[in-house]
Formats: sequence, structure tokens, C-alpha cells
Amino acid sequence: MIKHHPNEQLLAQYSSGELAFSLSIAISAHLEMCPQCQQKEQRIVAQQAEQAWDADNVEEANFDDMLQCILATPIEAPKTKTLHKKKANNSVSLEGKTYTLPTAFRSFEQLKWSGFGTINRARVINDEQDVRASLLHIKQGGEIPAHQHKGYELTLLLAGSFSDEHGTYQKGDFILLSGDVKHSPKTEQGCLCYTVQDAPLHFMSGMSKVLNPLGKFIY
Amino acid sequence: MIILKHVTTDNRLNKLNTISENDENDSIQKALCDVANHQDKKAFEILFKHFSPKIRAFGLQRFRQEAQALELVQETMLLVWRKATLFNAEKGKATTWIYTIMRNHCFDMLRKKMTQKEDQVSDDLWPMLEDEEVIEEDHLLSRNLIAHINSLPKPQRDVVEALYIKELSQPEVASLLKIPLGTVKSRLRLALSKLKTTLEVDHD
Ligand SMILES: [Zn+2]
Repeated sequence: MIKHHPNEQLLAQYSSGELAFSLSIAISAHLEMCPQCQQKEQRIVAQQAEQAWDADNVEEANFDDMLQCILATPIEAPKTKTLHKKKANNSVSLEGKTYTLPTAFRSFEQLKWSGFGTINRARVINDEQDVRASLLHIKQGGEIPAHQHKGYELTLLLAGSFSDEHGTYQKGDFILLSGDVKHSPKTEQGCLCYTVQDAPLHFMSGMSKVLNPLGKFIY
Repeated sequence: MIILKHVTTDNRLNKLNTISENDENDSIQKALCDVANHQDKKAFEILFKHFSPKIRAFGLQRFRQEAQALELVQETMLLVWRKATLFNAEKGKATTWIYTIMRNHCFDMLRKKMTQKEDQVSDDLWPMLEDEEVIEEDHLLSRNLIAHINSLPKPQRDVVEALYIKELSQPEVASLLKIPLGTVKSRLRLALSKLKTTLEVDHD
């Protein structure tokens, strides 16, 4: 059962289209796995719609040319089935297992995976200023040494499970940690996550220099 | 990066407007159905006149530029025109559907502005402009099935009767029952799966 959900504020930002792409992917993927949040989001978006259409002081405007131009555009025939046929979701194979990714990942057709110990990583986003978003696969028995973040760290568990000092997490869990939280996640059976961070990891142990390449790899 | 949006609504005002708002919602839904079911240009004009100034205002708020606000009007209304058949009244109001189309296009425009990327990722975040699975009209329609039609809730029964007994096409059923094509499809899907289960139980 999913125990960790995005809060109302994040859902609202997502459904108004104001949340960054990296985090929107995480919310969309969580919603695909969580009927409870889906319902919430539907309620929020209905409210937002009412508000948007209710706005006063809307200037009258005449877009007659635009109207004619749209009406001249042919409508797709509703019977052509192929037109809106659902695109297939991407799947990835790692360490002998195949995972189907949520719909939000559909545009990432060519993920480049690279390995580091028990960890495989594919960069998903690196064009949002300091934000890095990746898919992270940790092999069974793998772990990431104790660290904390200067910014936030979001983990969405897509498959498998992992645990840290704060608890055990299952598929669908949406875990948003602020910068001051320390943790050292480990996984017994292995797991696939989507992670978003806005600052590099900061390792807590005296070996931080040794761990630096790992930090760069994960961030 | 995280922007907090404050919601302010005046409940008293909302109450006063409830009746006329309901009327308005009904007429918008009817217009959208007419566009979906028979490409009704007059109906689209109603939607266009109602929404385009509002979409422009929304666009100006987000982009602070007239050209982009107008692009948002154009693209949103064009999608409403071309994709109206995908509206499903069972899943929400017509006004919400049009809002989400605007929201999606707005997201892609903002992303393009910030990253120069042209890809339309909003379709993947909110996959609403695609048909769900295509319904196979398997003709499990036999005397058996007709016998069970009465076990269906009325909205589903009406759709099944019109399709299989009156032998109308799906768009014809949509205009007969004054519901969107998407709703016909979803009711049919529900009805068929329910009937299948009933039949399977019977065969055991
Ligand atoms: Zn949830």
C-alpha cells in the first residue's frame, strides 16, 4: 500500500501546470499508481477550472478571423481508430528484470544507462538550472552511504522496495525530503526509482572525498 | 521554483450565482456535444465567443505577452474543435475539460520558452487527448445478452438498446441521447464488461 503522497500544494501546482517538468513527471507517475490522489487531483482541477473561467475584468475581444480559421480546419473523423490510439509506454530492462515505465516517461525513448557498483542511472532531465532528474536502479543488497542534501530530494519508487532510517517504502511511495534530512537508503530485493534533486549530495562520513564520484553520479 | 497559488473565492457570491452557473454549464456541455457529434459550427461559435476572451486573460497572466496569449487562445480552441469527440462527460464537466486543454498547451508553451524544446510533453503528463482502448464490438449479443439488459443501470441500458436493438451507430446514439460520443463509449464499455460477467456466472 502506498503510504507517502504528494501534499495538496504540490498537487495544485501540478494540476495548474505551474510545477517544473521534473517534478510534474513524479506527480503524474504517482497519480497513475494512486487512485486516492487521482480523486484529489480531479477535485482540484475542477476548482481551478471554475476559478479560471470565473475571473472578472475580462476584456471583451473579437477574434473573428481566428474563429473562421479554426472552423475551416477539418475535424479528425471520430472513427479513425489509429489517430488517438494510445502510444505504448516505454519499458527498460536492467539486471535481468524488465520494468514498464509510467506514461509520464513516454517521451524518453532513448535512455542512456551507466553503472556504478550496484547502481544504474539514466539521466532524464538536466536542463532545469540546478535540477537533476534521473532513473535510478539499485541492485538487490545495494545501498547508498549516509548523505544529506543542500536542497530537496524527491524519490518516487517505481518498483521494488527500499528502507532507510525513517521507514520502509513500497512501489508508488512519493518521498520528498528537505535539505536537512540525513538518510542512507538500502534495498534488499532491489528497486527502481525516479529521483529529482536540486543540489548535489553531501556525504556524512569521513570518506566524503572518496565518495565524491558516487555523489556526482547520483546527483 | 515552487510557486504557491492562493485561492480566493467568495462563497456568498458563488451561492447567488449557482442557478445561472448551472444553466451556463449545461449550455456549454450541450454546445461541446453538438461539436463532437455533428461538427456543429454554430455550437462551436458559442464556445469560442464564451472562452476566447477568458483564455486570453489567462494567457496574459501567465505569459505577460499579447502574442503568446493569442497563441494560447488559438491552440486551445483549435484543439476543442478537433478533439471534441474525446470529451467524456462521465469523467468531468465540459468547462473542466476545456480548462485542462488550455492548461496542457500552456505548460508546453512555458517549457518551450524556458528550454527551447518543442516537444509536447503535456500529452504524457496528462494523457487526455487519446482514446482509451478501442471497443471491440464483439457480438456476444445474443438472446442471452438481451435478457440481461434489464440488469444494467438505466444510462448503460439506454446505450446498449440504441446500439443493438435500434441498431444505431455510436455517433447517432450520442445525438439521440444528447450525450458526448466519449460517454457512449465509456457506458458501452461498462455495460459490456458487466454483461460478460453476468454471462460467465450463468455458464458456471
Ligand atoms: Zn497518492
